[in-house]
Amino acid sequence: MADHRDDFIIAIRYALLKKGAKQKFSLFFLILLSISIITLDKFSFPLINTTRAVLNDLVYNVAILSSQPSRLKNYLVKETKSHLSVKSENRFLKEEIEYLKKQNFNNAFLSSENQILKNALDLSDIKGIEQDITISARVILDQQSPFLKSILINKGTRSGIIKGMAVFHNDYLLGTIIETNFLSSRVLLLTDLNSKIPVIIGGTDVNAILEGTGKSQNLNLSYLPENYQLETNKIIFSSGKDGFLEAGIPVAATYINKKDNILIKLLGEPNQALIVNVTNGQINR
Amino acid sequence: MFYFKLLKEKLFISLPIIFLYFFSFYHFQVPEVGKINFFSFNFQMILIYFYVLKFPDSLGYGNIFLAGIINDTVLGISLGTTSLSYLSLSLFTSYIRTATLRSAMVTEWFTFIPALFFSNLVYLIIINNFSDVSFYYVELLQNTFFTFLFFPIFYQIFNLYQKMIKKD
Repeated sequence: MADHRDDFIIAIRYALLKKGAKQKFSLFFLILLSISIITLDKFSFPLINTTRAVLNDLVYNVAILSSQPSRLKNYLVKETKSHLSVKSENRFLKEEIEYLKKQNFNNAFLSSENQILKNALDLSDIKGIEQDITISARVILDQQSPFLKSILINKGTRSGIIKGMAVFHNDYLLGTIIETNFLSSRVLLLTDLNSKIPVIIGGTDVNAILEGTGKSQNLNLSYLPENYQLETNKIIFSSGKDGFLEAGIPVAATYINKKDNILIKLLGEPNQALIVNVTNGQINR
Repeated sequence: MFYFKLLKEKLFISLPIIFLYFFSFYHFQVPEVGKINFFSFNFQMILIYFYVLKFPDSLGYGNIFLAGIINDTVLGISLGTTSLSYLSLSLFTSYIRTATLRSAMVTEWFTFIPALFFSNLVYLIIINNFSDVSFYYVELLQNTFFTFLFFPIFYQIFNLYQKMIKKD
């Protein structure tokens, strides 16, 4: 028994400390270094934060280069598909224009009616000056790992981006800024497990929290009233209860899948986003 | 011409290190088949396990550490998490190499299970205790399973490559 234990200790010691002919560092040293970095990162010392921001910018730029072949392939596939579907798209767009023209009259009427009612209730549309910031940014990297659903954009603290800002694509909310560097920022997508925003279900007064599950076609609503049954084709809007996001931003919609289950899908498409707008909570129109 | 040939040889010999860094920078995405993403596997883990086990001098621990740091930066998780996970895998593999007398592919394939388990355990412990992000446990399990499953394929490819280097 003692011999076995001795053998084990010798083997572990050999594995940890033996460097080998061409190794510059021992495993023991590098493990200690990793633990130190994790600890320093956990306590967010200013020096570590600055180093991390510089390292992030550097690594992101190299990562952009390494992803170029894949981006080129995606671009070619997308362009070919778009070229092939021009005719049918044209017909669809013509029909859509006709429909939108009709809707426009309806909207103008609703808008004026809304304004009259707001005036009657003495509600104002004026918002604080700090809510008018909009920064356009380009998505530089969308390498979504199986463990974190996020994208990188090419604007950072130098352009005025701060943590917590909301990110939009085509008027739909995509996510929020969770990490800022000097020249780049990371956006946590609404589909990520860590994303949670207060919402209201369209046409009802039901409030809930919209949570990501890792999939854009299957989000989750928590804190719904007891026995509440979701209905299909309902739009889910931000409720503005977090005091940051403007109320009424369309975020997701309910739909029926092939197995007749009612699920929630994101309205924005993170995979299609090339240019995004970063605001401090207000939808960019 | 001589220098070009030398450079080509150097590049060819350094392919494992190049791949290790490349896949730390670039995380390829493959469309899911049904509900399971069959191609979501950790190539770096296979590479590290194979080379630390069979050719420990080809892949330095320093490179493994640095690749882990790059991986953490690209994925946006706590710095050092992947490094420690990869180094744990290296430690376990190094122990297996020291403790094993005769090696066979099947034996090495099955010792890859505890190595993966140990490495992922370290990863999970750090993620749970040193960061406040929630985690996709099912996807990690899927990823680990396919990493284990694809090992023999890469084992053969890497062996073939090593034979080519020796021939040159």
